[in-house]
Amino acid sequence: MSPDRPDAPSPISRRQMLRRAGAGFGMLGLAGACEAAGLLSPAASAAPLGRVSGLDGLHHPAKAKRVIFLFMNGAPSHVDTFDPKPALAKYAGQEPSETEFKTLRSKKGGTFMPSPFRFRPHGESGLVMSELFPHLSHFADDLCVLRGMHTDTPNHEPGLLMMHSGNQQPIRPSLGSWLSYGLGSENANLPPFVVLCPGLPVVGPQLWSSAFLPGEHQGMSVNTSDLDVHAMIAHLKHPRLDRSQQRRQLDLIQRINDLHRSDRPHEAALDAQISSLELAFQMQTEAGEAFDLKHEPDSLRDAYGRTTFGQSCLLARRLVERDVRIVQVYYVDGRKKQPWDTHSANDAGHRRLCADADRATAALLGDLKARGLLEDTLVIWGGEFGRTPYSEPAKKGDPGRDHHATGFSMVLAGGGVKGGYTHGATDDFGMIAVDGRVHVHDLHATILHLLGIDHERLTYRYSGRDFRLTDVHGTVVRDIIA
Amino acid sequence: MRIDPTEARRPSRWALALTAALAMASTATATATAAEDDASAEGIALFESKIRPVLIDRCYSCHSAEQGEAKGGLALDTRAALLEGGDGGPAIEPGDPELSLLIEAIRYDSFVQMPPNGKLPPETIAAFERWVALGAPDPRGDEPAEPSADASPLPDPGIDGQAARSSWAYTTPSRQEPPEVSDPSWVRSPIDAFILSRLDEAGLSPNPEADRRSLARRLAFDLTGLPPDPAEVDAFVIDDDPEAVERYVDRLLASPHFGERWARPWLDLMRFAEDQAHIVGNDTSLCYPNAYTYRDWVIAALNDDLPYDAFVRKQLAADLIDPDDEQGLAALGFIGLGPKYYRRGAPEVMADEWEDRVDVVSRGLLGLTVACARCHDHKYDPIPTADYYALAGVFASTVMYNLPLSDEAETSEDGEAKKPEDALHIIKDDEPRDLNVLIRGNVEQKGPLVPRHFLSVLSEEADAPAPLGGSSSSGRLELAEAIVDPSNPLTARVFINRVWAQLFGRGIVATPSNFGALGAPPTHPELLDDLASRFVSEGGWSLKWLVRELVTSNTYRQSCDITDAHRAADPENLLLGRMNRKRLPVESWRDAILTASGALEPAVGGPSINPSDPDAGRRTVYSEVSRLELHPMLARFDFPDPNAHSDGRSRTTTPLQKLFVLNSPFVTRHAERLAERLSQEAGDDPAARIALAYRLLFARPPAATEEAIALDYLGPSPDPSRWAAYAQALIASNEFLMID
Repeated sequence: MSPDRPDAPSPISRRQMLRRAGAGFGMLGLAGACEAAGLLSPAASAAPLGRVSGLDGLHHPAKAKRVIFLFMNGAPSHVDTFDPKPALAKYAGQEPSETEFKTLRSKKGGTFMPSPFRFRPHGESGLVMSELFPHLSHFADDLCVLRGMHTDTPNHEPGLLMMHSGNQQPIRPSLGSWLSYGLGSENANLPPFVVLCPGLPVVGPQLWSSAFLPGEHQGMSVNTSDLDVHAMIAHLKHPRLDRSQQRRQLDLIQRINDLHRSDRPHEAALDAQISSLELAFQMQTEAGEAFDLKHEPDSLRDAYGRTTFGQSCLLARRLVERDVRIVQVYYVDGRKKQPWDTHSANDAGHRRLCADADRATAALLGDLKARGLLEDTLVIWGGEFGRTPYSEPAKKGDPGRDHHATGFSMVLAGGGVKGGYTHGATDDFGMIAVDGRVHVHDLHATILHLLGIDHERLTYRYSGRDFRLTDVHGTVVRDIIA
Repeated sequence: MRIDPTEARRPSRWALALTAALAMASTATATATAAEDDASAEGIALFESKIRPVLIDRCYSCHSAEQGEAKGGLALDTRAALLEGGDGGPAIEPGDPELSLLIEAIRYDSFVQMPPNGKLPPETIAAFERWVALGAPDPRGDEPAEPSADASPLPDPGIDGQAARSSWAYTTPSRQEPPEVSDPSWVRSPIDAFILSRLDEAGLSPNPEADRRSLARRLAFDLTGLPPDPAEVDAFVIDDDPEAVERYVDRLLASPHFGERWARPWLDLMRFAEDQAHIVGNDTSLCYPNAYTYRDWVIAALNDDLPYDAFVRKQLAADLIDPDDEQGLAALGFIGLGPKYYRRGAPEVMADEWEDRVDVVSRGLLGLTVACARCHDHKYDPIPTADYYALAGVFASTVMYNLPLSDEAETSEDGEAKKPEDALHIIKDDEPRDLNVLIRGNVEQKGPLVPRHFLSVLSEEADAPAPLGGSSSSGRLELAEAIVDPSNPLTARVFINRVWAQLFGRGIVATPSNFGALGAPPTHPELLDDLASRFVSEGGWSLKWLVRELVTSNTYRQSCDITDAHRAADPENLLLGRMNRKRLPVESWRDAILTASGALEPAVGGPSINPSDPDAGRRTVYSEVSRLELHPMLARFDFPDPNAHSDGRSRTTTPLQKLFVLNSPFVTRHAERLAERLSQEAGDDPAARIALAYRLLFARPPAATEEAIALDYLGPSPDPSRWAAYAQALIASNEFLMID
């Protein structure tokens, strides 16, 4: 919130920046951006610098180093998953009172609709979840359920943008971009922010946009419709030259560059170009390796489920294992951009979707845990909002549930959050978050906090003022931090 | 752009915004605290620009009575509290910085060191010293502002409008006498005198003129965005006419490619796109297949050298100036192609759209961040909330409109074309309306009605700002006239500064869209003023005049060499003792590849292309631009997000860019074509092919070492694929990417 100098576009000090410049993917670009902004003299940013710890420049010690955000596009129903509401049975068939619940959308004649799914306590903690999660229930003691979530709008586009960027219009940097900007990457050969989605979700690339942050902080989106590594990553391989031929070509380029540079001393931009070319060459191998699921044993691939989402979760693990900072996995399928949007046949839809998501999410947690990664990897599971505790009558067939913004659930695991812990509550109907309320801004503030960032101090000066992910809002939910 | 981060802690501010709005609506003169003498005026201006922001940002969190936090008993949010001081005694001694504890603390030279999380920059400390020396004039009241819903009749005015108006940016620029310099023979144009004078002060000499080949390449890219023709370079190199540069420049200015090159920065500024970020399913109603006609209009206007005032006037109000000029209506894409947000029609969504319009006009054309005043009076610039709504009213009185392109087009009852492909997506006047101030930007909390008017700080009388429109028109034409009025102190300066930044790599004002208090001060204020004044009076608002004036100067002609003297005295090259080495933007970079491979199609204008398609030969300015999904190649190479005004391109250097260079079908295919061209045009002699490649790509012949390196790589009897790999290496080299 208070940069050292009026136009400093960096959340970290100049000294730290100098030390970190060139250390990683993000930092390289940061150094370039600062140079463009006149903050670093060309000589300074060219200084040879070694790898440094990601803790450098944090506002406080981080509990999490990486994030995997599993996004259930279309918005899952909280009352069918993590927020049991037995009272709905009692009031089944009654219309929600308009005076009591100021609903944000037309109710279309819907009435309270109890969940058909049984809820049971699991694990030592007795964390309660519905029967739709037979696999995930084994990890109950690792889960932190936020039942008091709320957001500003029950519409997909602005709701998605809010959950991703803290703003309803497509003009602000995404959470992942802020993390990339603030923390950079610890793996110089991979981008810090990767998005996995078969095709595009609703809203699309604006969800991982860097907006006014420098372009390198935009998420690298990978189309997982085809899980073949060359289909996923563009331009990873030269159409004709093999690796040794390309190495020879690269050596030629760098010889030409050396000659060019020798006549132009002190021009740091030339060094940056030379090193990023070298990094690109390395990345061909590293990214090829990281994105190639063939390296995983069949048994593990089966455990995640042979679905796009399941295999994407496995891919996410391979990426965070290589210190990619944030991976966003979207639950989208080829035909539907928001499969969780169950306006009709809510129950059948959730049964089908949860079967896939449950298996994959549980496999991911187990896999991360087995590799010792869960403790500093924050896994987030949820959608842009929840679904109405009352029905949305369908023209034919079974009723669905409509969008619902005033109370819903999200689930966290790992990364320094309390396990086996339920935070907050909605009212008896699941309509409104009444206790332990967590707004999207609060969730963002908490995520940043877990990563060692004070959300009020991660700022970027743009258009005459300092912007932050949480705008002027956001309170860290300290109760959920282990 | 809702609320400033500092705002959250100052709950009383909304009342101030309301009161200021009331004052404006009733033309009451609520802004008291007029400076009584010059020292006080200077002190107050200093306080507003340099002191208050720092107090708010760096001090109030621990020293503010209003926030209930006064560590060490010290509050800094009223003048009385400053004088009373804390546990250590009075914080300031007006008139005497040396006796002031506050100064001692911020200098970090006693055991009290404030702020504790980092010493303030020296210029800020100097500003505090100067302010105390001036008697510490302070427009704030003696009581901390109360968090009350009642608007007090005489509020703390936030910032002092009178004092803020005295900023250089709001004073109409005038001719400046070029200063005396050490070497008058170096002065080719007044620009050089202003530049050399500053270099003299710093004890620096300007660099010598760049060699002709570098200059030819630099001028060709800067003026047309294309590499120079090798034959023209050869002729230019041996041209000993003293006016050789001017004649070369004039040829480039006359090229139809001039408009293509200069259109793109303008399209960045006005966030050109051919669709919207919110497209659900296969809905094509938000796609604008004819958006290219606006792009073509801009290119043609720049090629025709339409004066900048007319250029702006037409883009804001062509329909009101000449409704029968159907071709000219395409200019309205400036607003008409702006973003439409999801659920438009809802009051809060329309309020967001007005913000986009106000933002693109105010930052884009005036260098003012007016949109910051949507929820509260601007914190640093003399822009009350009422001014924001007065401008937003113009756009609330304007609607998007699908003009049918032909008589055959299917239309709806109101005369709009039904299908996007039959329509020009422009704007027209709606029922004119004034807006209520929305308190804190909240659409449900209406404040006073504000008649549409121009920014008060740019009006002759701040208390009676120039009205815009009326009961029968939106006010767009009056807005355009107010913007391009020669007495408007910002329009010419802001435009010139953008053009300067394109050519020199950095603006005279380093924040091209913010000339306000938080923007960067100009490095050469007299130069900017002199240019602005001459741009209008001598140049008749002509872009070509301006570009010619800049690129024929000796300042522009300097070489890019960085000497030890530069590094020691001016590492950031603020004084321009050398030319900045620039990187090709993605447009010129791709166009240069097409030119070298012989695939460039020179036709000007027309529908959009996919720029990464190896078979697309048209220039990059014609790329499809999507708000929904920006083309991945453009996104990768720093093309700005077209959802909002861009104040300049970031310059990133990433491995993903290099992967494209190394492996993409676009680059590898054109490398093959270049290799074919070399064999066709230079015959079988490898040395001749290498020489041609250097001339096409770098506008110079290769050195002996370079030829040797090439022959070494190629080996005996290289096959076409080896030649292609060699051609690609040259394309991937730094020399191809950089302009000396």
